[in-house]
Amino acid sequence: MEQALATLLSPMVLFFMLGLVAALLRSQMSVPEAFAKGLALYLMMAIGLKGGVEMSKSAFSVDILLAFLAGIILSAALPIIAYVFLRVSTKLTPVDAAATSAHYGSISIVTFVASSEFVRASGFDISGHMVAIAAVMETPAIITALLLAQRGGQKNSSVAGSEQGELVREVLLNASVVVLIGALMIGWVVGEAGFERVAPFFVDPFQGVLCLFLLDMGLSAGRGLRQGWRQLGFSAVAFGIYMPLVSAAVAGALAFGAGMSVGDTALLITLAASASYIAVPAAMRLALPKAQPSIYLTLSLGVTFPFNLTVGIPLYIAAATMIAGAS
Amino acid sequence: MTPMQRLELIIERMAYKRACRVLEQAGITGYTVVPALAGFGGGNHWQRDTDISGANDMVVIVTIADAVKIEAALEHLRSVFDSHIGILNISDVKVMRPDRF
Repeated sequence: MEQALATLLSPMVLFFMLGLVAALLRSQMSVPEAFAKGLALYLMMAIGLKGGVEMSKSAFSVDILLAFLAGIILSAALPIIAYVFLRVSTKLTPVDAAATSAHYGSISIVTFVASSEFVRASGFDISGHMVAIAAVMETPAIITALLLAQRGGQKNSSVAGSEQGELVREVLLNASVVVLIGALMIGWVVGEAGFERVAPFFVDPFQGVLCLFLLDMGLSAGRGLRQGWRQLGFSAVAFGIYMPLVSAAVAGALAFGAGMSVGDTALLITLAASASYIAVPAAMRLALPKAQPSIYLTLSLGVTFPFNLTVGIPLYIAAATMIAGAS
Repeated sequence: MTPMQRLELIIERMAYKRACRVLEQAGITGYTVVPALAGFGGGNHWQRDTDISGANDMVVIVTIADAVKIEAALEHLRSVFDSHIGILNISDVKVMRPDRF
């Protein structure tokens, strides 16, 4: 309870709430688009670098391999569970259900960053390779969702002007994957000594920049909700809240099996419970253009992201403490 | 002044490269893409900075060419608009330097 209150009253969550309320009240406040993209790049560079430096201190082990395997399995399998729930409990068409399910298998890097801060504040250590796991979890969900869409009757016909490899580029070489993996490798190469030279830029201002970015995320979530809520029925909104909990349960079981630490378990659960709103929506517009973006974006950005940030993360840390404490 | 046709497409940002490739394949020698700020359609209001993915963003593509090239592009643009969000219109215009089109 104390942890939940500390999370809710942290500057990060309060700035997010400020943005959300401002957007719902139709305030004219906005963060310039290019500036927001710059902030996202900064955050991904910072966590990639820190992860790489941490990785440079430890040798590769079977435990790390198991953690990667758990991440890939989660990303590939969660869309199937999400698809079944959506088809059974909502009126979404097969293509909308498939596109939405991709978002729930993939990850939200901002939820991951916020969760990392709260996990550290709770006194738990985080392994550097968790950043790499976040990066590899972006993609398998998209492949599963495309297979689900095909199974649901979506024809694989090519749109005029399509270029070979454009979807592969969007999926494998999108900004988050390139920056995360790139910064991770740079951190791994330069190590602690090299990182110290850029630490004043990447460490001290980090939390302040995260607040600024979350203010923008709050504005985006509020605007998305205001514009898209009519498309969602009660059952779809409920899905946006119970699906993270289902994903968290599956991830908790896998983390227990892989023998992960409390901090890493909390982050794997957060990754599984989060829903993408940067990489996957863009890929879905190319791969499944008939799916309605207002449905999957409103769900992942307007419902699941606020839920995870305010209620989910403290729950996941508490669950990780129980799970990893029992192993 | 020489009569030409002006083709204007308002299309979702993620698909604009597909539309541009169709224009190029039809022999059109130039076009301009500009970002759209906000709009209303299909019962929904949308605006550019709603989400960081940019999946909701729209752009406007403007090109001028002779009727033969525009007709050739239209044939394939139908397929683009069958899948992607957007509208298209054609109008008659006059240009000063026809050799540039």
